[in-house]
Amino acid sequence: MATETQTRSFYSDKLKRAVHLLLFRRGKIPGAREWEFKEKVGKNYQQVLAQLNELLSELDLEVKKVTEPRSDEISTAESHSTLEEARYFVALKGTLGVKEAKMIGWRIDNLAALSASIAYLVSKQGKAPREELEKLLAQKFGRWKAMTLADIFLRTGYLEEDDAGTMSLGWRTRAEIDLRALMTKMAEAKV
Amino acid sequence: MTATEKTKSTRTGLSSGRKELKEIIETCDSIAARKFNPFFMDVKLGVDTLREYFPFWNEFEDHCLDAHAINRLSEVVRLQNTQLKFQSSALYADPDFVTRKVERMSEKRLAEVFLQSWHPVTELEQLTNGGAADALDYWNLLLPIAERWKRNEYSQGTRPETTDSDTLTGLGIHGKEFGRELTDLWNDLRQKYSVEKKPVDYWEFVKGASYQETVQRAYFVSFLVTYGYSKLQVDGDQMILVPNDEPLGKVATGAVSLPIPIRREN
Repeated sequence: MATETQTRSFYSDKLKRAVHLLLFRRGKIPGAREWEFKEKVGKNYQQVLAQLNELLSELDLEVKKVTEPRSDEISTAESHSTLEEARYFVALKGTLGVKEAKMIGWRIDNLAALSASIAYLVSKQGKAPREELEKLLAQKFGRWKAMTLADIFLRTGYLEEDDAGTMSLGWRTRAEIDLRALMTKMAEAKV
Repeated sequence: MTATEKTKSTRTGLSSGRKELKEIIETCDSIAARKFNPFFMDVKLGVDTLREYFPFWNEFEDHCLDAHAINRLSEVVRLQNTQLKFQSSALYADPDFVTRKVERMSEKRLAEVFLQSWHPVTELEQLTNGGAADALDYWNLLLPIAERWKRNEYSQGTRPETTDSDTLTGLGIHGKEFGRELTDLWNDLRQKYSVEKKPVDYWEFVKGASYQETVQRAYFVSFLVTYGYSKLQVDGDQMILVPNDEPLGKVATGAVSLPIPIRREN
């Protein structure tokens, strides 16, 4: 019994450390890398995260593991992950409605443009020249707004741009968006 | 074949070979930048071309060009492999299909599709080392306000006031579509620039029949400059506008804000 109490208290302390790492932003990107958990939570950090996940699931949240892509390939599978490249986030388990999205500061047209941009980039295997993407957005949202929208998505981390002006999916897209679901819903959507 | 004819044929082979190899490299680079489908390139034909011209190469630079072309062709083969894997995955969708869907779906429907697959990350924002460094850079680069006012000889204007939509309509800010207004003004600037064949003076360009019109034109010109449709250059006391043929698409590195007071006498 005494051992059980000790184990619980041990985990409680580690849970606190893990949740602090996950929720409090320390750098440009929220969440924490795997090595940070190893260093601050210990070798059994995966057990701690599993326990934390159970607690968070009651609040419609979950601990999500996202890996940085090492090549041009895009994938929803996590099978290619390596320990050094993984980052953990706390994300919403369910989804938001239109009203909720508006309440957290998103405009419907901006969400629509983000949806179009990501779907287009996915169809182009994750990369496309900026001009092509802006052309697509301009047809739907107007030429002047297209550039502003692209800049917003770059600033918020949903898209990335390299020196050659090629747009690709950003860290936030990999962390927040279920690409498989997006493409399926897009294909199924009635117009 | 005489020796002269042979030399001439070798020269032709060299120059046309270099040209063809450069074309292959350019095409491969465009494919790598996702401008074309990877299968646009016939790799076998590319390799045959390299093989055809290989006997002509004597100089070190030519061998480097040959090696570079092989490297770029191998990158295309890798992209073709990726494309095949992607097409066999659940994420595959044809870009034209997505474009047509986006065109035909309403904004609300597009947003709904996105929301059904969106699981936003939760975080508590706080001051970070990176954020503090950015803020410090901003304040360090900013001149003291007294200096900025002195440099531009600003006068104390009236304080900002609130207004209603009728007044905005009267000022021309409401009404005509914003995008069309900007496009008209950009075309106007480009026409003026092509006729005069020299940069257009800012004040000459924004000056309207009335003070209200001048303010309105200055307001739209600020958007032309911000969106990269025109450059605004300060040359001593003079400010000049140079229209771009195509928008730059993003804010230039080191871009600064330039407040321009508009006095009634302007």
